[in-house]
Amino acid sequence: MGLISGIFMGTIFGIALMSGWRQMMRYRGNKRVAKAVDIKLLGSLSRDDLKKICGDNFPEWISFPVYEQVKWLNKQLNKMWPFVADAATLVIRESVEPLLEEYRPPGITSLKFSKLSLGNVAPKIEGIRVQSLKKGQITMDIDFRWGGDPSIILGVEAAMVASIPIQLKDLQVFTVIRVIFQLAEEIPCISAVVVALLSEPKPRIDYTLKAVGGSLTAIPGISDMIDDTVNTIVTDMLQWPHRIVVPIGGIPVDLSELELKPQGKLTVTVVKANNLKNMEMIGKSDPYVVVHIRPLFKVKSKVVENNLNPVWDQTFELIAEDKETQSLILEVFDEDIGQDKRLGIVKLPLIELEAETPKEIELRLLPSLDMLKIKDKKDRGTITIKVLYQQFNKEEQMAALEKEKEILEQRKKLKEAGVIGSTMDAVGSGVGMVGTGIGTGVGLVGTGIGAGVGIVGSGFGAVGSGLTKAGKFMGRTITGQSSKRNGSSGTTTPVNSVQENGGAKPL
Amino acid sequence: MGFVSTVMGCTGFGAGVSVGLVVGYFLFIYFLPSDVKDPVIRPLIEQDTATLQRLLPEIPLWVKNPDYDRIDWLNKFIEYMWPYLDKAICKTAINIAKPIIAEQIPKYKIESVEFETFTLGSLPPTFQGMKVYMTDEKELIMEPSLKWAGNPNVILAVKAFGLKASIQVVDLQIFASPRITLKPLVPSFPCFANIYVSLMEKPHVDFGLKLLGADLMSIPGLYRFVQELIKDQVCRMYLWPRTLEVPIMDPTKAMQKPVGILHVKVLRAMKLKKKDLLGASDPYVKLKLTEDKLPSKKTTVKRRNLNPEWNEEFNLAVKDPETQALEFHVYDWEQVGKHDKMGMNVVPLNELSPDEPKVMTLDLLKNMDPNDVQNDKLRGQLVVELTYKPFKDEDIPKDFVDLRTVEKAPDGTSTSGGMLVVIVHEAQDVEGKHHTNPYVRILFRGEEKKTKHVKKNRDPRWEEEFHFMLDEPPTNDKMHVEVQSASSKIGLLHPKECLGYVDINLSDVVSNKRINEKYHLIDSKNGRIQIELQWRTSS
Repeated sequence: MGLISGIFMGTIFGIALMSGWRQMMRYRGNKRVAKAVDIKLLGSLSRDDLKKICGDNFPEWISFPVYEQVKWLNKQLNKMWPFVADAATLVIRESVEPLLEEYRPPGITSLKFSKLSLGNVAPKIEGIRVQSLKKGQITMDIDFRWGGDPSIILGVEAAMVASIPIQLKDLQVFTVIRVIFQLAEEIPCISAVVVALLSEPKPRIDYTLKAVGGSLTAIPGISDMIDDTVNTIVTDMLQWPHRIVVPIGGIPVDLSELELKPQGKLTVTVVKANNLKNMEMIGKSDPYVVVHIRPLFKVKSKVVENNLNPVWDQTFELIAEDKETQSLILEVFDEDIGQDKRLGIVKLPLIELEAETPKEIELRLLPSLDMLKIKDKKDRGTITIKVLYQQFNKEEQMAALEKEKEILEQRKKLKEAGVIGSTMDAVGSGVGMVGTGIGTGVGLVGTGIGAGVGIVGSGFGAVGSGLTKAGKFMGRTITGQSSKRNGSSGTTTPVNSVQENGGAKPL
Repeated sequence: MGFVSTVMGCTGFGAGVSVGLVVGYFLFIYFLPSDVKDPVIRPLIEQDTATLQRLLPEIPLWVKNPDYDRIDWLNKFIEYMWPYLDKAICKTAINIAKPIIAEQIPKYKIESVEFETFTLGSLPPTFQGMKVYMTDEKELIMEPSLKWAGNPNVILAVKAFGLKASIQVVDLQIFASPRITLKPLVPSFPCFANIYVSLMEKPHVDFGLKLLGADLMSIPGLYRFVQELIKDQVCRMYLWPRTLEVPIMDPTKAMQKPVGILHVKVLRAMKLKKKDLLGASDPYVKLKLTEDKLPSKKTTVKRRNLNPEWNEEFNLAVKDPETQALEFHVYDWEQVGKHDKMGMNVVPLNELSPDEPKVMTLDLLKNMDPNDVQNDKLRGQLVVELTYKPFKDEDIPKDFVDLRTVEKAPDGTSTSGGMLVVIVHEAQDVEGKHHTNPYVRILFRGEEKKTKHVKKNRDPRWEEEFHFMLDEPPTNDKMHVEVQSASSKIGLLHPKECLGYVDINLSDVVSNKRINEKYHLIDSKNGRIQIELQWRTSS
C-alpha cells in the first residue's frame, strides 16, 4: 500500500518538478528574449523613439543629423595627429619619391620633396553616414575637412633653369569621401575597399603655389601644369564614379563588378543655340560648343562666325560610365584672339534621360554651374540638343573596353613621339601636337609657346606624362591590379567623331 | 509494520520521482523545439507604456550622459556586416575547435563530438555610447559601452556508448564596458605600440545551457552561481587595473632609436677628375646615412689635390642596419658659386658584418643608375674604412620601453642628490603681438636653457629634454619657464617678445618623482604649456 502510494506520490512529484522546471525555462527564456529585443530597439534610436521614451525630459544636447557627428574620433585624431603626421611623412616620402623620380617628365632633371611636413592641424571628420545601397556592400560617407598648414616644398630642377623650390601653401581639402566595403564570408569579412570622392558636393582642394626665393614665371606654365595635373587626377581618378579599388586580405574575389566600366553610349547632336550673349566689341560672337561627360575627354564643335543664333548640327558620341551620377556638360564659347570667353554653360544629368529613346531638349544657358557664383540673372540664351542614350550589352561593353585600351596605347605613343619631337623643335612639335589633337593639357603649349623654346617642350611633356604618371601611380599602389586598373580608370575611350583640338581648350 | 510501510513508501516515492521525472521530461521538455527563432521586434513607436517602463534601465549611455558620444554609424556598420561576420567567425571557431576535440576525445572514451549547428544569430552587438578621455600622456583612452544580447544557437552533439546527447547554448548576453588604451603613441603606422584592454566593472553575462533539451540555467540558484563564477573568473583576469595587453609593434623600432654606431674613416681618394679651370680641384667628402634627417658630415677641403689624403674619422648613429645605406659625395670646393660634384657612391649597411673593420675602395659614379652611360667614365676612387658597432642589449636606453618608469640617475651623483629632468613637450595658443616664433627659456638656479625656435606657430611642439645635476633635492626651489618669440627677420623694432611665463614649484616633483602637466601661462591670453618633470635619484 505504502509502496504504491509512494510510487504514485513520487510520480506526481516528479512530473510536477518537471513542469515547474519547464515553467522556469519558459520564464527565463522569455526574459532573455525580451532583453535582447530591448537592446536591439535601443541600439538604433531615432528622434521620435527618443521623444517617446524621454517625454518632456528630452535631452537638449542630442540631435540627429544625416551625417552623424564623431566628436570622440576627432578628439583622438587631434591627439594622435603629430604621430600620424610623422608616420605619413615617412610613408609618402618613401612611396611617392621614387615614383616622382621614375615618372618625372623629360626636361625636368630632378623632382624631389625637399621638405614635407603635414603641419600640426589635424583633419576633422565632420560626420559619418553608413548605408547599405547594395546587398553585400556597405557604403560609408565621410565628411572630411582639412584646412591644414602642411609645408610641402618640391625641388624642381629643369634642364635650362637651376633648381627652383616650389612651395605648396594653404592646402585646404573639403570633400566627402565615399568608402564602399565589399563584404565576404571570410575573416576579415571585407574583400575589397573602394575609395572615391563624392562629386556632389564637389570636392574642394585649394592651395597656393609659391616659388621660394624666386618667381613662378621662371618656368612658364608650371603653375598651370601642376594645377591641371592635380585637377585631372582629382576629377578623373578619384571623383565618383571614378574610384580606387583596393583588394584586402588576400581573398580571391571577382572585383570587376566594382571597377568602373563603360556603361552606355550617349549620342549628342548639338543642333543650335538662340539669343547668345554678345561678347565682342565689334561684330558678334563667334560661338562654338565644347561637350563632355568626363573632363579628360572634351569634344568641340566647329566655330560659327559672327552669329548669335548659330546652327551647328553636329553629332558626337560620348561614353558614360555611371548613368546615375554623371552629367553631360555643354559649354558655349566665343572664339577670340587670346583667351576664349565663355558664353554659357549647362548641365544635363544623365539620369533624366531614358535609355533607347531619342529626345530633343532645349536648355537654358547659365553663366556658371556653381549657383553661389551667379551674380546676374540675365538671360544667356538657350541651346537645343538631341540626345540618345544607349545601354551597352556585354559584347559592346567588351568592345568599348578593347577600343579604350587601343586608343590608350595610341595616345601613349603619340605622347612619346610628341615629347621627343618637342625637345628637338619645340614650336613645331607644339603645333604638330595641336594638329593631332591628343593632349589634355595642350592648352598649356599655347601659353608656353611665346616663352621659350626648350621650356615649351618640357612643359608640354610634363603634362602629358603627368597624366600617365597619375594613371600608373594609381595602379602602382594597388597590388596585383595594376594592369587592369590602367585600362579602366587611367583614361577612357573618346569615341569621338571630332578629335579634340587642344589648342583651343580654355583653361 | 509502520516502519516497513514507511520504508516502502520512501522507496516507492524515490522510484516514483525518477519515473515521474522521466515521464515529465518526455511530456514537457523532450518535444520542445530546439531551434532558435528570431525575436519579433516591433518598432518602438508601437510599444505600450509597460514595455517602455521595462526599457528605461537599458537606455543607452549617450542619451543619459552628454560626455558619451553616439556611434550609430558603427552600429549600422556592424549590423550590415553581421551576417558575414557571423559566418566567418563560426567557420573559424569550428576550424579551431575540431583538432582540439579530436585530440581530447580518445581520453574520455567518447565516440564523437560534433557541432550540429553553430550560428551567432541575427542580432549583432551594439555600442551604446563611446567616451574618450584626454590626458597629457602619450596615450589614447576610450571606453565603449558594449552590449550584445544575441540569439546564438550552438548545438554540440556528443556520442558515447551508443548514446547521443546534445548540449545547446542559446541566448548569450554579454554587457561590458571595456576600457581600451592605445599607448605609447609612436611616429610610425599604426601609430601605437600596444593595446591594453581592461574591464571597468563586472560584466553582465547570461545564457541558456540546454542539456538534452532541458535548460540547466533555469534551475533556481544554479544560474546565479554559474553567473557569479564566470564573472569572478573574468574579473580576476581583466578587471581594472588588471589588463589584457596586445602588443602591436615593438616600440623600440617604432621610436626609431639608434641601434648602433657606424665608424667611418675617410682615408683618401685617387685619380680624381680635374674640375677647375686653373689648377687642380679642391676636393672634400660629404657623408650621410639614408633616411637620416641630420645634416651631412664633411671632411676638410684639400686644396689643389687630385689624390687627397684625409684620414678623418666620423661616427654616425644607425637606426636600421638592414635598410639604411651610407652615401658618399665628393665635391670640389669653390670660392664662389656652387660646389661641383665630382662623384658619389653608396654602401648599404647590410654588407658590413658587425664589429669588423672593412676597408673599401669605391669607384666614384655620377649617380646610382646602373644604366647611365655617364657612369662608364672614370671619376677616380675613394678609399674608406667602415666599422659597424651594434649596441649591446644593455647599452640600449631602457626609458622608452615603459615611459612611466623613472630612470635611475647616472652613477657619480651623491646619495642625497639626483638629476632633474625637464621635458618641454608643447604649448598651445601662444600668440605674440608682432611675431610668433616661439621657443622656451628655462631658468633654474642661474642656469639657462633654451629650446629650438619653432617658426610661425601658435601651437608649437618641441619635445626637448634638459638635465640639471643637483646635490640635494630641489624642495624649496622654483623653476622659471618662459615662452619667448624672436623675430624671424633681423628686426630692430621688435627683436624679442615674451609670450607668457610660469613659475613651477619643484617640491612636488621630489615627492612625486614624475609630474606631467599643462600649466597656464601668465601674461598670455589662453596659452598653456605642457612640461614633464622627473626627479631621478641614484637610490
